[in-house]
Amino acid sequence: MKVHLKIKRFNPEKDKKPYWGEYDIEADEGDRVLDALQTVKWTIDGTLNFRRSCAHGICGSDAVRINGRNVLACKLLIRDAVKNGQITVEPILGLPLIKDLIVDMEPFFAHYRAVMPYLINDTDPGERERLQSPEERARYDDTTKCILCACCTTSCPSFWARGEYVGPAAIVQAHRFIFDSRDEGAAQRLQVLAEPDGVWRCRTIFNCTEVCPRDIQVTKAIGEVKRALITGKLD
Amino acid sequence: MSTLFTTVRDTLRYKGREGQWLWVLHRISGLGILFYLILHIYDMSLAYFNVPVHEQLMALFKTPVFSALEMVLAALLVFHAVNGVRVALLDLRPALWARQQLATRLALIITVVIAAPTIIIMLIYTINAHLSAAATTAIR
Repeated sequence: MKVHLKIKRFNPEKDKKPYWGEYDIEADEGDRVLDALQTVKWTIDGTLNFRRSCAHGICGSDAVRINGRNVLACKLLIRDAVKNGQITVEPILGLPLIKDLIVDMEPFFAHYRAVMPYLINDTDPGERERLQSPEERARYDDTTKCILCACCTTSCPSFWARGEYVGPAAIVQAHRFIFDSRDEGAAQRLQVLAEPDGVWRCRTIFNCTEVCPRDIQVTKAIGEVKRALITGKLD
Repeated sequence: MSTLFTTVRDTLRYKGREGQWLWVLHRISGLGILFYLILHIYDMSLAYFNVPVHEQLMALFKTPVFSALEMVLAALLVFHAVNGVRVALLDLRPALWARQQLATRLALIITVVIAAPTIIIMLIYTINAHLSAAATTAIR
């Protein structure tokens, strides 16, 4: 099928502001939008810049805005994306634009590091691993699925308004450890999330939940962290 | 100001679903209510400090344009309250997240159910008030 691709282009060395690059390509309806981007880069305009690594929805590097909504380009089929023969592709919002579809992810990863996304437990586990029951493991299973693609954080109006807000992805990562029975750093993380730029900037808009390519119940996880802060209990 | 500009620009650029637009409406209704409260407090303070200006303002508030704005304010007030309850419930009971689209629709339906009769009553009262004022003027 013929597809008309509109891609937001920007070269900081030449352009004063972003503009639409328009390309007509031939694509199979079962192809992914990432395939279409690669077709443009490999056969029409080699200067097109975008990130991609695994190309199978695991690495999370090709988050872009397709037809106005955040998605991984490698997970969306052409037939589901095309509208009136056209697909628009733009960079994700809220992070500094570097070139074409590439944004500076450093502010996003700084928020990720701020919530201490690693196991905190100074006790000696002895000669065995730290055991936990299947129920204890299931408690935080959903938030282990995050691939740090930034689809959620950059779809959040609170994050657009204030880049200092830790954002949904960092809260999801915090949730993964706060509710882990083996971890002892919940108080430290909750302290970070109780700050003005922590969970209370979430306005329960649900944009994050709707775009998560891993189907993580992001707003629910944020709600559980809010409740833990209110009640002081990890239930 | 740049934060406000960025937020408005990105909200228009991003194709969010019901939640995003309810958030936008919640903000607009909140600002509308705040504007009304400031105007109301200012006007009421004039009743003590400057009676002639207060009476001029009261006459202005009785014009059809302000009567219509009062009805819009009533609808915004109802929406703001109902949507606030929706957001608070979803925050306090995260397990309800799966029903958020139902909650969105319910918030809009409850708003209409409460606001529609309120506006009709206000409309009848306003029309009667304008008709009786016109009749009084005609008799004179």
